[in-house]
Amino acid sequence: MRRLRHWLLLVCLWPLGPLSASEILLTGSQDNPGVRSFVDALREQRTADQVRFIPVAELPRPSQIKAATRLILLDSASLEWRLSETAGPAALALRVSRVQVQQRLGNLRPAYLSLLWSDPPLARQLRLTHYLLPQARRVGVLYTEHSQFLLDELRAAARPLGLEIVTEAWPDLRDSRPLQTLLQNSDVLLGIDDPQLYNSKTAKNVLLSSYGRQMALIGPNAGFVKAGALASTLSDQDDWLAVLGQLLDQQPSRWPRTLYPAQFSVLGNQQVARALGIEAIDPSAAAIALAEGESTP
Amino acid sequence: MSFGPRPKRPLLLLTALLSGPGLADDLFVDSQALPQVLTATRLKQSPAAVPGSMTVLDNELIRSSGARDIPELLRLVPGMMIGYGAGNQPTVNYHGSNVNDARRMQVLVDGRSVYRAGLATVDWSDIPLAMEDIERIEVFRGPNTVSYGANALMAVVNILTRSPADSHGTRLKVTRGQRGINDWYASQGLGWDGGDLRLSLSGMQDDGFDENHRGQDYRDSRRLNRLGLSASHTLANNQSLEWQFSAKEGSDQRPYTYKPVFPYVTAAGNNADVNAKDYAGSLRWNIDFNPEHSLYVQGSAQHWEREQEWRACDAALSFSPQLTQLWRLNPNYAEQVARNITSPLPAGNSEERALAEQVQQQWRNGGSQQVCGDIDQSTRETRYDIEVQDTLSLADNLRLVSGANLRYDRADSQTYFNGSLDDSTWRLFGHLEWRASEHWILQGGAMYEDARLSGNSLTPRVAVNYLITPRHGLRAVYSEAVRSPDMFENNVNWSYRVNNLEPGAFGQRNAEYFVKTRGPGDLEQERMRSRELGYNGYFADAELSVDFKLFYDEITGMISEPLRNNQYIASNSNKARFSGSEAQLDWRLTPADRLRLTYAYVDAWASNPADRRLSATNSGSAGWLREWGDGWSSTLFYYGDDALNQYRFERLDLRVAKRLRWNRTSLDLAGMLQQRLDDEPTTIYDNRYDSRHVLSFSAELAF
Repeated sequence: MRRLRHWLLLVCLWPLGPLSASEILLTGSQDNPGVRSFVDALREQRTADQVRFIPVAELPRPSQIKAATRLILLDSASLEWRLSETAGPAALALRVSRVQVQQRLGNLRPAYLSLLWSDPPLARQLRLTHYLLPQARRVGVLYTEHSQFLLDELRAAARPLGLEIVTEAWPDLRDSRPLQTLLQNSDVLLGIDDPQLYNSKTAKNVLLSSYGRQMALIGPNAGFVKAGALASTLSDQDDWLAVLGQLLDQQPSRWPRTLYPAQFSVLGNQQVARALGIEAIDPSAAAIALAEGESTP
Repeated sequence: MSFGPRPKRPLLLLTALLSGPGLADDLFVDSQALPQVLTATRLKQSPAAVPGSMTVLDNELIRSSGARDIPELLRLVPGMMIGYGAGNQPTVNYHGSNVNDARRMQVLVDGRSVYRAGLATVDWSDIPLAMEDIERIEVFRGPNTVSYGANALMAVVNILTRSPADSHGTRLKVTRGQRGINDWYASQGLGWDGGDLRLSLSGMQDDGFDENHRGQDYRDSRRLNRLGLSASHTLANNQSLEWQFSAKEGSDQRPYTYKPVFPYVTAAGNNADVNAKDYAGSLRWNIDFNPEHSLYVQGSAQHWEREQEWRACDAALSFSPQLTQLWRLNPNYAEQVARNITSPLPAGNSEERALAEQVQQQWRNGGSQQVCGDIDQSTRETRYDIEVQDTLSLADNLRLVSGANLRYDRADSQTYFNGSLDDSTWRLFGHLEWRASEHWILQGGAMYEDARLSGNSLTPRVAVNYLITPRHGLRAVYSEAVRSPDMFENNVNWSYRVNNLEPGAFGQRNAEYFVKTRGPGDLEQERMRSRELGYNGYFADAELSVDFKLFYDEITGMISEPLRNNQYIASNSNKARFSGSEAQLDWRLTPADRLRLTYAYVDAWASNPADRRLSATNSGSAGWLREWGDGWSSTLFYYGDDALNQYRFERLDLRVAKRLRWNRTSLDLAGMLQQRLDDEPTTIYDNRYDSRHVLSFSAELAF
């Protein structure tokens, strides 16, 4: 049955190929309101192209997809699917984080893949930290073996800002001593988007412990701001549509191997700011200030 | 065509809260379901918005002060007067009042009041809590019965222990020093999925003061051992359970202070030592209904046991039924007769004279014989307490904290209560915080309390804070507070039953001593009216935080008669007034240097002179904490009071520490020198040391 569906799909897609040079195929493990709204928005933006979503389970092997198709991968399941074969059309991988890819690919960057990072860029998060808490000098960072590779980059980004990165490995989350040690030695915490460290189970411990010491957490992502982090930068659907707009206008051969979106906004938790005695966060002013500090590639 | 240049505009701007529908379905935002942790109900006011004066003694300060017990640590709080009845009897008063008792301050350990149930004092040495288990001490300088219940009359010391989740691993510590200092601490913390636990064991020992004013050895050493268990469990995403158990046993030396009433008595006991056992258990259930509404229920049980058996000697006449009868008739007359038993009788009415003549006759017929017997002056006190507190964020700028509390106190003592006495108290409280604008915060509340033995009271409190910026605030506070007379003051039924009399007196081996005292039973609550103007600010660039306040406090209906067993006539007839100013400054000069200064100027007046003895007009502390690098650190503290009970107190503490680290193991070695800068006794004339300095060393291993 499944094979038949694949076959029918191919029959449907194949004849369209030569006619439509701008076939945009989005794929992911599941269809949900979020995915649908994104696909609709992209379709609206690219009226000249044919935009469609097909769940990854229903797709044939990558090599069987027409080479001119522009693939957009929406999650790790679709990324896995694309990685299963070298042959096949180039793909833009969305909603993948640095830590996730490091675990899966290490330093390998396949030529057919353009990785569009979902985690806020650390340099930008550092600038946000510096912008909101100019007096904080020691930036505490927790890491695991999966996120350790980011530390050098973080230190490099901290240097021009005059910040010191204080790090602490947290291998066993049931033992909070690394967190305590770090809180003792830093002025602010910066979260790395490492799901092993920052997840629904650890949120309480990290946020309550840091607040207990009147210390703010910046990042690791927008979700944490609602949970109690002070602020984070984020790129939402509109920001990503703008990125895709530019990329899809180019030949896939010119797609960058990796990319952080240039467009972003700042999200702040005003209640937390108030409790920490910090000026109310003006997200627009913060975003403008940060954008002005970013170097043009 | 190249990719870029990056378009700088338009930047999409988001509102501060993520709850907007725009983000809810955004594929790129919030992919995981996270609990809202720092909710409106959990977050507290920033220091500039606190409706009163607060001093926070943080972990770093506690550790580097080298203080071995809580009263010594409280020297870091402006306006706090630390005195000693004896080496093992520290007293802590905010702004002042009586030397012997500190009855006007609420002391809480994780929300549980450690103020003794029957004899309303805090036995600082006996609190079953090791210094090493303290995370932070928040001292609310001013009355606050609305938040902390009656007895939060002059200040509240809120001791917060380290959470079990933050105490993983093993810690071992020993401290040895001069004056018999011999302390130890061991703790083990562990965690599992959904829970954490800490077990700590500790002990403490020292010799107290060296000698009394006659140069004799002073009997005031202490020795104690403690056990503490603290655990927390996550029951569900929005519910947690915390429980604690602690126990302490130890002995506090007390000198034999009984002075025979009658002449020719040469024998005497040699001590009145106390064996003190304290037990405390508490259970707290926290539930977050939603980010805007949370509640906790806390129940606790506490038991204080003071075993004090001592041997006393006096003339057999002390047990004369006639003398006892005379005492009941006229204590003054009876005392005159007894103290001048060999002299002609003083003037009195016929009934008094008739009894007195019989007493004198008894004196001549064997009543002058010296007898010795055992006195059991032990007390056992128990408290059960249950509290429900609800925090509701009605709007982004409006928060209501309300709750109810029920408490049962019981005291058993043959000597003090001729059996047992109990009391029950219930309390309702509500406190509203309204952030009227970015700059104005209005906070107010009230507490209603009804105690079976001392009646009811309603106390209001209102505060206005003006935030110049979020980090700089001015405040004006008016509050009223009450203190209920304790069972001892109000209901004492004091008599000494002496057992095993040798030889017997009046044909008895067990007899009642003739002096008996009863409390009035109708005492009312003391009432405090406090006015305060203050400023709190944090200069972020300089990392300098400053707090300054002016205060004017009045206590009326003050019970200030000393608790003595001859002629104890307690009343609400006294008054006291404290006015002045306080300042505290905490400045991180460089990343390695921290400077901390406190100062208090207190102008005390009291209708009973005893109530102004423990108020130093000028007092304060100055501290310098420095990290020298390579694990070396030093702390230098100066403490000074110009006159506590007329005696000057000035001391310099120097602590030098070195931290060695190997991977996850750390060893902290520290040496501590305390140098008195004056030769005065401490608080009372019997509290003297041989030497002006004391040296101690500690080693702490953590892995």
